[in-house]
Amino acid sequence: MKKTGIIFFPAFDWSLGETHPEREERLLYTQEQIFEEGVMDLPQIKQYTPVIGDLFDVLRTQAIFPGPEEHSLEAHLVAVGCSLVLGKALMAREIDNGFALVRPPGHHSGTIVWGNRGFCTLNNEAILVNHLRANYGIKKVAIIDTDVHHGDGTQDIFYHDPNVLCISIHQDGRTLYPGTGFTDEKGGPNAWETILNIPLVPGVGDEGFLYTLENWVLPRVQEFKPDLIINSAGQDNHFTDPLASMNVSAQGYGRITELIRPDLAVLEGGYSIQGALPYVNLAILLALAGEDYSGVIEPQKIKRQVVGGEVFRSYLKNLKKQHDMTKPAWDYRKEKFLPQGNWVYREKSIFYDTEYFQEYRQEYIRECEHCGGTVLIITQNLQTYRRGVLIRIPFEACPACCQAGYDLLEFFKAKEKIVLMQNQLKNEVHFWKDSREVRSFESKN
Amino acid sequence: MGSIIGIDVGGTFTDAVLIAGTEIIKTGKIPTQSDDLLNTILNALDYLEVSKINSLEQITVSTTLVTNAILQKRLPPIELVLFPGSGMKLSSLNWPVAYRTISGELDYRGRIVAPVNQGEWQALAEDLIKDNSSPKVAIVSKFSHRNNSFEKDLAAFLKDRIPNISLALGSEWGQANFYRRSLTTYLNLACRDLAATFATQLQNALKARGCQAPVRVLKADGGVLPLTKVRPVESIYSGPAASVLGALALSNSEESYIVVDVGGTTTDIGLVLSGKPLMSSKGAQIASFLTNVRSLAVRSIPVGGDSSVLTENGKIVLADYRLGSAYCLGGTTPTPTDAMCYLGLINYGNYTRAEEALNSLLPENQQNAASRQKIAEQIIKLMTEKITQAIEQLLKEWRDEPAYKIWEVLNKPKTHKFQIQLSGGGAEGIVAALEEQLKARVIWTSLSPVSNAIGAALAKPTFSWTLNLDTYLKRYRIEETGEQGEWTGAKKPHREVENFLFDLARRQGESLGINMESLEKEPFDYFPLVEGYYTVGQIIRGSVHVPPGVIQTLAEGGK
Repeated sequence: MKKTGIIFFPAFDWSLGETHPEREERLLYTQEQIFEEGVMDLPQIKQYTPVIGDLFDVLRTQAIFPGPEEHSLEAHLVAVGCSLVLGKALMAREIDNGFALVRPPGHHSGTIVWGNRGFCTLNNEAILVNHLRANYGIKKVAIIDTDVHHGDGTQDIFYHDPNVLCISIHQDGRTLYPGTGFTDEKGGPNAWETILNIPLVPGVGDEGFLYTLENWVLPRVQEFKPDLIINSAGQDNHFTDPLASMNVSAQGYGRITELIRPDLAVLEGGYSIQGALPYVNLAILLALAGEDYSGVIEPQKIKRQVVGGEVFRSYLKNLKKQHDMTKPAWDYRKEKFLPQGNWVYREKSIFYDTEYFQEYRQEYIRECEHCGGTVLIITQNLQTYRRGVLIRIPFEACPACCQAGYDLLEFFKAKEKIVLMQNQLKNEVHFWKDSREVRSFESKN
Repeated sequence: MGSIIGIDVGGTFTDAVLIAGTEIIKTGKIPTQSDDLLNTILNALDYLEVSKINSLEQITVSTTLVTNAILQKRLPPIELVLFPGSGMKLSSLNWPVAYRTISGELDYRGRIVAPVNQGEWQALAEDLIKDNSSPKVAIVSKFSHRNNSFEKDLAAFLKDRIPNISLALGSEWGQANFYRRSLTTYLNLACRDLAATFATQLQNALKARGCQAPVRVLKADGGVLPLTKVRPVESIYSGPAASVLGALALSNSEESYIVVDVGGTTTDIGLVLSGKPLMSSKGAQIASFLTNVRSLAVRSIPVGGDSSVLTENGKIVLADYRLGSAYCLGGTTPTPTDAMCYLGLINYGNYTRAEEALNSLLPENQQNAASRQKIAEQIIKLMTEKITQAIEQLLKEWRDEPAYKIWEVLNKPKTHKFQIQLSGGGAEGIVAALEEQLKARVIWTSLSPVSNAIGAALAKPTFSWTLNLDTYLKRYRIEETGEQGEWTGAKKPHREVENFLFDLARRQGESLGINMESLEKEPFDYFPLVEGYYTVGQIIRGSVHVPPGVIQTLAEGGK
């Protein structure tokens, strides 16, 4: 029997629109189900109370541009706060594992936040992971994303971080939002192979999903030897989900949870609010608490064709071959403002589907054998044309990368209006707006 | 204005008070006969000379009748029949009683997922009367608070075949939680005859004394209902409720304070925030039964003026039981009361016997004044430490209350500066020690020893009506009464639904004799029900209530 922490925050007074999938009703039936079952009366379950998260914790991990005050963050900050409450309870050994059953979700929200993407503004798991690394000496973390959509925001945040293994199993990006998450996205120059994407064909059910976990995901996690496992527990692989096309059942989700054995699970997507969520959430909770979930049976039956058996196994085999064949190819740059060292350059544009605009982004990563490497990101919102600069000195940065970060800061502070320094090494956040440092984001820890 | 009587049955003493207007006419303490509650109450009434009071308007009692019957396992056998459907295994939770299960499943909106099997019903009926021609049967289905049809149909089926059957349905308790609803239904049915007999006996005894005043019973949630209308299991923990109401009656209405009621056997601790008693976010637990009974957030700890003091390995410990009264009052064991008596903190008890009691805790060569002083202070400190721990637990429960809306998280109340409202027979001697330990102002008045009875006497009748409406399925339900009915209004009703609940509450409240002037509304939650991309209806939750409180306060300056 495991001591399981639960924080249930359905945000009954928050939605992205009356008929939007991310609406007040989303966790209503989940509440009805878990309260009626008496889950909260299980002796090993401890319910925690929500609190609002701290902007410092957010800014350590994500750059909120042009500034936090220009976004409506309250709901998202409560979801962040909830995740941190469970993280702290885990660190204090009050619980063996926990489930943050919260809205709104976060895994599409990346390193830079100009707005809401895929219903997400703040990345609950990433903020949680960095909070635990900064305050509790956690070194290595594996994040396993079992939402049907690619966890592109989480991947973005940890793309250059060698100490966070991000694994996302999702429906193929050619057939589903956000259109990314292919096997060749494997991490930056200092973090190669700490990103693992497993895009699945539509129609995969319990058998195929569990096969993937047992034969690819879990061995990779074991090899990585994380101190902590986080599950981005989206529930839209369920066969009734209206936005996706997979065939996982509620009991399948229970088994997924049992196999992953997450220290903490955080709810992500899942929009079959009547057909799936009450049952999937119940199965996940029971699995975490070490209870029998074999009685959890959703009323509907699978109607779509299930992809499994040999067909699926050979698909996965080819996918793995494709993945293994991808070798790194870096584009080195020597811009005048770059401090000493080898700098890898990447550029990309990111679409914000909720508000319909593009971000254009240039990234410079200092190649480093000693640490995760300092990162410089120059970003522009192509709707407002506002620009922002993020400089990140990583956890356990080496002296050279650290110095590079300070040199970049000196240069961009004088040149740009919006500059954020995430000094993860020293657990400091500095934010300059209109050439003045904003003082309100200091660590309260 | 006529007179009213309040009676609080405690573990050691029963307090009684007669109030006329704002004047306390008479108070008294009568020993509790734990095996004869009726007689205890009648003794208290006779002490107040009930037969001589002219315009007696009402008598309110907080009784331990049901609490004791449950704790002492004096319950008749009950058959518990469950429709568990699918979901979590029943065996995941600890069931203190046996049950049998039958088929049929509902979902979270009360829609039928799997039908019932009438073949099973016939077999059940035959089995029930095998060795009992008048069985008592509690029927509970999962999600029956959303749809009571399985329970009602089975009840009608059994009634038809077993005319002498006593039935109780889970849907009479309209809150979520199948497990708690089952145990609540079970307990309530088990206590029904006991409570009815008690009510008849008490009314007959009053009649014999020429008293026509109606009798009201205090409930765990701090409200009162007529003796004949209260559901028996709701009268558990009326003692702690009386403590909180007593504090309300003796304080100014807008203050925040911790209620500490020290009896002979137990100490009850409650919390009042800006004049409003804190309700528990979960139902009450009694013995190993978790229930749906709404209750005030209270902590009861086995510490009182008569707790036995022992020595263990040369250290003084406070036992969590009582062996008769204090030594200085003729008892057999040393107690905190002896320490208080020795230190001159109370003005009753035999000083020489108190000295003897303390000596009995000391080695022979240390039986001197300095050592007695020290050990007496130590005993008082042990007592206040236990009380302080319980206070901290209760404050934690308050801070850790769950929240389900952004609004609730953002408007979380900040920590209050609490005073301590002290009451009860064993309390007078610890005023200074508690003040020292908690660094808070302790309020103690001449009425504090009988404040529970005052609280019972002045308690307001209260009630809540919590609505759950599904306009698409056209069904409404009221949590507190278990009422379910058809909704004939609009699909997206807004104001209309608030008026509907107000009207329903007024109608039912008046029939329960409740003054509906202080009816309050909580914000209603509207959930648009979306199918595809269209709103097809709404689920609406809302509640109105007459909050617990007292009809008037008797506040006087603290000392």
